Amino acid sequence: MAFSLTSEARGRIAVITLIGELDASVAGQFRDAVEQAARADADRLVLDMTNLDYMASAGLRGLVFAKQKMGANVDIFVVGAHDAVFETIEMTGFHHSVFMLDIYDAAQIEAP
Amino acid sequence: METFVVPGTVESLGPIREFVRSKAAEAGLDKKRAYRLQLAVDEIASNIALHGYQEQGLAGDIAVQAEIGSDGLTITLVDSAVPYDPYSRVLPSDLDAPLQDRAIGGLGVYLAINNVDQFLYRFDDGHNHNIFVALRERESPSTAT
Repeated sequence: MAFSLTSEARGRIAVITLIGELDASVAGQFRDAVEQAARADADRLVLDMTNLDYMASAGLRGLVFAKQKMGANVDIFVVGAHDAVFETIEMTGFHHSVFMLDIYDAAQIEAP
Repeated sequence: METFVVPGTVESLGPIREFVRSKAAEAGLDKKRAYRLQLAVDEIASNIALHGYQEQGLAGDIAVQAEIGSDGLTITLVDSAVPYDPYSRVLPSDLDAPLQDRAIGGLGVYLAINNVDQFLYRFDDGHNHNIFVALRERESPSTAT
């Protein structure tokens, strides 16, 4: 399935929704969206993976890029990752550095 | 054995995964093993396209060979890019480090090696051969009465 993404700013929260299959051929689109969020001075990044069917290491590098571009103190929330995608994040230890949520939890994400 | 040949570019990654997916189904791998095999193959194919061909200013194909055996599926990627042994790559040792302190390379090879039952590399006849073995889940003891 092809890849697509949408970006949205909710105040200083940047929400990027990833859909389909994220591999090296589309990693540039993800990086562009992260850069856009960094330029908009977002202080939180939400990655909605509810409809992401596949993610290669290109997606993980996007997460590293986000931390490096937006600043180490920017919180990253990964929402709704499927089992297989979740396992990849866990296998590489990335779950230590991002918040893994089953659903968009406004109380946690939007806490002042 | 069946062979699927595609141009060695990142645009071929989707079709390669699709081919692996269909062979995995044919071989009777469960969904989880099929996904992990696709991921492993995809990571190495990405490296071949980006580092083996594109960065070297080379163009060439990737041949994807599938062989269904009695205990699972073997996928072999054959390419004519620069010789490259993924095992020569220093794997990330900072998997517990915060993301901002991480080196960005090596994750793909790490995922390739750790998502199949066996990963082998050999250089033969001027070609790289990356070999992935995914075993079928052993049948659990029958619970039928």
